[in-house]
Amino acid sequence: MAPQRNGASQRKGARISPVTGHYVTIDVDGGEYKVFYLENGEGQPLVCQHTAGCHNHQWRDLLEDEEITREHRVIAYDLVRHGKSDPPRNQEWWKEEYQLTADFFTKFIVAFCDALELEDPIFMGCSFGGNVTLQLALRHPDRFAAVIPVEGADYSPGFYLDWWQHPQANAAQVCASGVWDLMAPQSPEMDRRLTWFYYTQGSEAFKGDLYFYSVDHDLREHLSEIDGDRCPVVMLTGDYDYLTTPEDSRRTAEQIRGAEFIEMKGIGHFPMSENYPLFKRYLKQALDRVAARQHAVTA
Amino acid sequence: MATDTAHGWVDEFRRLTDGDDELDAHGKYYSCSFLLDMEERQFLIRMHAGKVEEIIPDPEPLEHYQFAIRASGDTWRKFSQETPPPMFHGIWAASFQEDMRLEGDLLPLMQNLRCLTRQLELLRVTGAPV
Repeated sequence: MAPQRNGASQRKGARISPVTGHYVTIDVDGGEYKVFYLENGEGQPLVCQHTAGCHNHQWRDLLEDEEITREHRVIAYDLVRHGKSDPPRNQEWWKEEYQLTADFFTKFIVAFCDALELEDPIFMGCSFGGNVTLQLALRHPDRFAAVIPVEGADYSPGFYLDWWQHPQANAAQVCASGVWDLMAPQSPEMDRRLTWFYYTQGSEAFKGDLYFYSVDHDLREHLSEIDGDRCPVVMLTGDYDYLTTPEDSRRTAEQIRGAEFIEMKGIGHFPMSENYPLFKRYLKQALDRVAARQHAVTA
Repeated sequence: MATDTAHGWVDEFRRLTDGDDELDAHGKYYSCSFLLDMEERQFLIRMHAGKVEEIIPDPEPLEHYQFAIRASGDTWRKFSQETPPPMFHGIWAASFQEDMRLEGDLLPLMQNLRCLTRQLELLRVTGAPV
């Protein structure tokens, strides 16, 4: 039974989700950002980063998962320039080409967690969110209780393409259909179609996001500097992901002290969005391992 | 593959394409020509307004097309399974990780990516013609 939050939810037949949306305004590198986030649940925060060129609806099923939200406060935000989080309100952002960097991305996430006064959050991100998750483990190991990089790796070249914003092609469709076969063909069709639909909405940010994903993010020489004992790292990658393959993530995990890697079978690059029931099985394994590591540290 | 079997595939692929609800809904401007190079055989497909205008098996050397999708017969056979194995499940996947190559003028490929992607998935119904 979903918790009843207001009078409307008590009306017979009203099907109101327990997920709530909020805005919080934060400052990052002189920019003022009004950030939108969805949340549900209680307990240790589980902060979720969507993939490049997308928004927080990718986490829709996790946000409503009663089993997970019993023990975790699940928070899924829209990165600035995505979904309902606008570009900076105090800068003429339209006069510069958008190129996301690891510096800004990590500062943004820490500022967001600080603004919400989150204690010992677990951070989980997918794709470029998986890559920034590794950056967080390197740069801010004491700010996070653990990190779960999904479809992440030390380096992921090849996707910073001009096709995402070519004036003679329909950018919305190129972005959406360009990522279509990042998903496993046997994932439920409705969820794959929804993920495609979300991707038609973020084409303006997609290429700039991929500057981080394929260009600025390169931890090949820095993995040994990540301390997976201090900040546990449990990586998840699907075998239908042609961009960050299981081999890429396995190679990455093997070079991080204390890191673990779980290969997900029969799923692709957007696991939480393309097939949540299957993803959940692996996520629970990851959360169990995080809990065991936290318990070991406490003991 | 015998020629008559290839002709059977041509007819089936045309029938499925022209009867597909998604292509019917979104194919108003789906007009382009491309070569499916399957190593052992080639198929030149000309699309007009979302419908098959012509499919030419093993076209003559100077037949014109805008772009080509080339891969080994083995890759196309995996690509055309009902549930393709990982890395054979799309033209992006097979180009990044296997031996598929996208060649020629890629602009019309990108302009028609939505419909092209859908049409090529009909291979999962017909199976590969090689």
